[in-house]
Amino acid sequence: MAEALLRSNVMICEGTGCAASQARDVIVALKGEIHRRGLDEEIRVVQTGCRGFCAMGPVVMIYPDGIFYCQIKPEDVPHLVEETLLKGRIVERLAYREPLSHRAIPHYSEIPFYTKQKRIALRNCGMIDPEDIREYIARDGYAALAKVLGEMSPQQVLAEVKASGLRGRGGAGFPTGLKWEFTSRSPGQPKYVVCNADEGDPGAFMDRSIIEGDPHSLLEGMAIAGYAIGARQGFVYCRAEYPLAVKRLHVAIDQARALGLLGENILGSGFSFDLAVKEGAGAFVCGEETALLASIEGRRGEPRPRPPFPAVSGLWGKPTNLNNVKSYAMTPQIILNGADWFAGIGSPQSPGTAIFALTGKVRNTGLVEVPMGITLGEIIYDIGGGIIGDRQFKAVQTGGPLGGCIPPQFLNVKVDFDSLREVGAVMGSGGMIVVDEDTCMVEFAKFFLTFATAESCGKCVPCRAGGKRMLEILSRICAGQGRREDLAAIRAIAEGMEQAALCALGQLTPGPVMAALRYFEREFIAHIEDKRCPAGSCKELAPARCLNACPAGVDVPTYVSLAAEGRFAEALAVHRERNPFAMICGRVCPAFCEQRCRRGDIDAPVGIRAIKRFMADHEAAAPWFPAGPRPARSEKVAVIGSGPAGLTAALRLAQAGFPVTVFEALPVPGGMMAVGIPAYRLPREVLNREIEHIRQAGVQIVCNRALGRDFRLEDLFDREGFKAVIVAIGAHRGLRLGIPGEETTGVVNGTDFLRDVALGRAPSIRGQRVAVIGGGNVAVDAARTAWRLGASEVHIVYRRTRQDMPAYPEEIEAAREEGITFHFLSAPVRVLGPESVTALEIQPQRLSEFDATGRRRPVPVKTGPQTLAVDVVIPAIGQEPDKACVLEAGLETNRDSTLKVGDSLATTRAGVFAAGDAVSGPASVIEAVAQGNRAAREVDLYLSTGTLAKVAIPLETRLPPLTWNMEEHSETPRLLTALSPVAERADSFAEVELPAQEAQIRAECRRCLRCDLEWGQQRRQTPAMSTPDAHAQAL
Amino acid sequence: MPKLMSIEDFKKLQEDSRRSIRMRMKTGTRIIVGMGTCGIAAGARETLQAIVAELQRREIDAHVTTVGCIGMCASEPLVDIEQAEGSRITYGPVKPHMIPRLIEEHLINGRVVTEWVVGRLGKD
Repeated sequence: MAEALLRSNVMICEGTGCAASQARDVIVALKGEIHRRGLDEEIRVVQTGCRGFCAMGPVVMIYPDGIFYCQIKPEDVPHLVEETLLKGRIVERLAYREPLSHRAIPHYSEIPFYTKQKRIALRNCGMIDPEDIREYIARDGYAALAKVLGEMSPQQVLAEVKASGLRGRGGAGFPTGLKWEFTSRSPGQPKYVVCNADEGDPGAFMDRSIIEGDPHSLLEGMAIAGYAIGARQGFVYCRAEYPLAVKRLHVAIDQARALGLLGENILGSGFSFDLAVKEGAGAFVCGEETALLASIEGRRGEPRPRPPFPAVSGLWGKPTNLNNVKSYAMTPQIILNGADWFAGIGSPQSPGTAIFALTGKVRNTGLVEVPMGITLGEIIYDIGGGIIGDRQFKAVQTGGPLGGCIPPQFLNVKVDFDSLREVGAVMGSGGMIVVDEDTCMVEFAKFFLTFATAESCGKCVPCRAGGKRMLEILSRICAGQGRREDLAAIRAIAEGMEQAALCALGQLTPGPVMAALRYFEREFIAHIEDKRCPAGSCKELAPARCLNACPAGVDVPTYVSLAAEGRFAEALAVHRERNPFAMICGRVCPAFCEQRCRRGDIDAPVGIRAIKRFMADHEAAAPWFPAGPRPARSEKVAVIGSGPAGLTAALRLAQAGFPVTVFEALPVPGGMMAVGIPAYRLPREVLNREIEHIRQAGVQIVCNRALGRDFRLEDLFDREGFKAVIVAIGAHRGLRLGIPGEETTGVVNGTDFLRDVALGRAPSIRGQRVAVIGGGNVAVDAARTAWRLGASEVHIVYRRTRQDMPAYPEEIEAAREEGITFHFLSAPVRVLGPESVTALEIQPQRLSEFDATGRRRPVPVKTGPQTLAVDVVIPAIGQEPDKACVLEAGLETNRDSTLKVGDSLATTRAGVFAAGDAVSGPASVIEAVAQGNRAAREVDLYLSTGTLAKVAIPLETRLPPLTWNMEEHSETPRLLTALSPVAERADSFAEVELPAQEAQIRAECRRCLRCDLEWGQQRRQTPAMSTPDAHAQAL
Repeated sequence: MPKLMSIEDFKKLQEDSRRSIRMRMKTGTRIIVGMGTCGIAAGARETLQAIVAELQRREIDAHVTTVGCIGMCASEPLVDIEQAEGSRITYGPVKPHMIPRLIEEHLINGRVVTEWVVGRLGKD
């Protein structure tokens, strides 16, 4: 400010906005008043341009006091001059007050992303201009250095840093103060301070952000370290791939030098310290300390054995302190606020904060700084906002390419150096990559392995050769050429690398693969033995994500493509090759295909289920005689249970020529399709027509014959001459709640209730109040059924939250529309009676820590239970197979009462196989169909060869040509399913989902992106790696 | 700036710097644009150009500054508006076409554009 003689400058805005509101009059009044008071020599009035305060104008700003008055009128001027310019007092009435609309906006501390953060190293990032040293200084920058130089000896600095407990933030977690002390004590001059800003981990950008946003914090920290250690030269080794960071480093160093905060005799203290920047040359291994030092010396970046450690012999053989950017950046705060302050944050063994780069499939990606000891679940869900699209959390990769993945069961693990190590994970430098169910863990591990092997410096054999061989094996597995011995080979190579590699790069390269193997071995086995990629990501194994996601492998792209052209009969035929129940599944399938549809990544998935329903309904009148090959086989096969698993197995066996008889315990066939799914979702005529097709294949269906009650397994073999039996009795026994009062009249289990309604013996509940307990489809089915039977009130009581409900979202929404009341976070504790139900006692819950499935566990709140007055209670919390009849038959079961079967679906009794819910527990129609397909092949193999072996059913697609222009349908929104009006649904079991029109359906088909064509092309272009020699030649 | 020769010199510069920042904050309009690599990748440079152009067009004399990454990389480009020692309101993501409305409503009319707001920093 050039006007040093004047006491005050008064600035008035004379922009258009303020001028419109009488700023000119205010200026005139102000000048007049100042003249009247004789203050002309002391106070200058300056007319400025618009400052952007138009809504608050006219505004008056007074320098150097920094007083801001707004909405000044000429009448205010005399008072303003008197009070402020003469007496130096602020006139509150005229001072700026923040508008209420601003206060209503959530403060950063209230934003979930920031609530649990504590920004220490990042405190200035986003707050200061990193290229203006004065802004850093205004926020306590270099005050720590001044304090150290003016008031502390090097020994005191060392003691303070040691007392803080700061551990190296590069990942190894070695106590920083101790490292400084070692370097200080080592004989030799000159000593060096080096900063590792190489940050090579993919997905890690913590160091970059600090250097880009607050470079001086690093410089100050290094200068403090230099003072403590007795060094006068420092190097920042920054990777060249960070040009902005390098630039800001240079600017910062120049500015610090210009002020004398770096260089000779800093602040007159006699301490001299200067910094140089060395850019990395693109080698990940130079993030390892000895390789880094070699690189600074101008040699090739190769690690060397330690000891001697850099603290003793580092750069040019001299004692060198090497720390990460974050470790240095935290030091000034420790000096200013004290070691106790730092030690009080975080966990006792890992004090302070840690910075994480949160990336991947979370909603809030970005940079977070949190106290050590926060749990993984809090980072991913509370700060990260959970998984995008509410998908399933699968794993989080920590520690970069040398770390490992952590699965959901460890969401409650505290994130600090030691707790993570206990579960076999690495904290590393701070990169956190979150993946969901669409990520293949084999491919994920391969990605990191590819990176690490490319970065191997080549000096030692275990890393150079081991990494390469391990990568070959993984590549073969991903390409569908895995072999049984591969996993053992991987483990052997890993052990060799871990024991014998020269540096951390080689030792930890197997880390991600071993972690993936430890927690996701089944995925590896699926790739190797079944040639399947469950996530649908390995293109050689998954022709398209929809097809891959379907448990029965239905060729979705083909039938959708045919349906697009109106060739519904052919489309249906393709569908029936894998799943005979197109009309049924078109109404009730959970549509795993849609959940993985790539169109869903863009706007909304293709309406595959609706397409299926339409094409099946379209051909409903056309009869289907599923004929089998001839000659016929003589071996008779019995199937127990006529649900989707039993009927599908029977159909496939009949198509293979076997005479099949299906025994059904109930009066009607269909299993859960008949007595579980209500008619308003699946009309009886539709179901019966589909079952008729099975009969037309030659399958005998005999009802009212129950295993145990009417016949035993022995009878089937000995008396009736069956050669093989498939037990497909489903899971029809509802689980009990286990609460007092469950025996009271009026408590009806969900599955019993639905069965009674289906069999025409619905209980009379008109006018009564009903509470259904549970959150799955059975619960919602029971609730919507109760409403249709005339219940006066229907409640669904669920112990978790709406997002956790396993039921289909459309079902939940329909239930809401039908007026059903939901009670979330409510656990039932008692049924009140005593003769018949009068009420249900409910204990409210709150969500606490995570359980192994990645959901928060509900626990009771302190306040007591509430009472819900009801007349009927319907528990629907899960189902299990009827163990009694199975044990009687001499078959072994698992703990959850499902049948124990081997890979070939064979039970513990010779000649007896099992399929469906009886094996898997309650699942879906399509999963039962898939098992039915498999069981039929297993029985065929058994009867043909007498052996048991896991028969693989490979995925196939026909790759029909593309017959439409995809561009024309790139913006088409998904077809919405029309539902019958709610008013028409009461008292009626008529179907709720209304049929669509052909033009709509064919347009919906054309939203398909034909991933099968794209991925099929890629498969043809990449030659398979059949032998190691072929691979070597390819390289 | 002259070289600092002593700790007293440093303390004086510290005080000066604090005062000048306070001044700027208390009596001016500050528009702050996140310019870390995340911001730049999201288009913060274009947003900054749009801001400068709009201020010129309206002849508003506001202090436009750039800062590093504040951590919410997914919401970049982030633009903060701070006026006269009031709260600093963060908007994001801010594309160039949104600038005219932001300037008009927030600066000229004193109304926060709530649909674009991320949060507020300030004396709390």
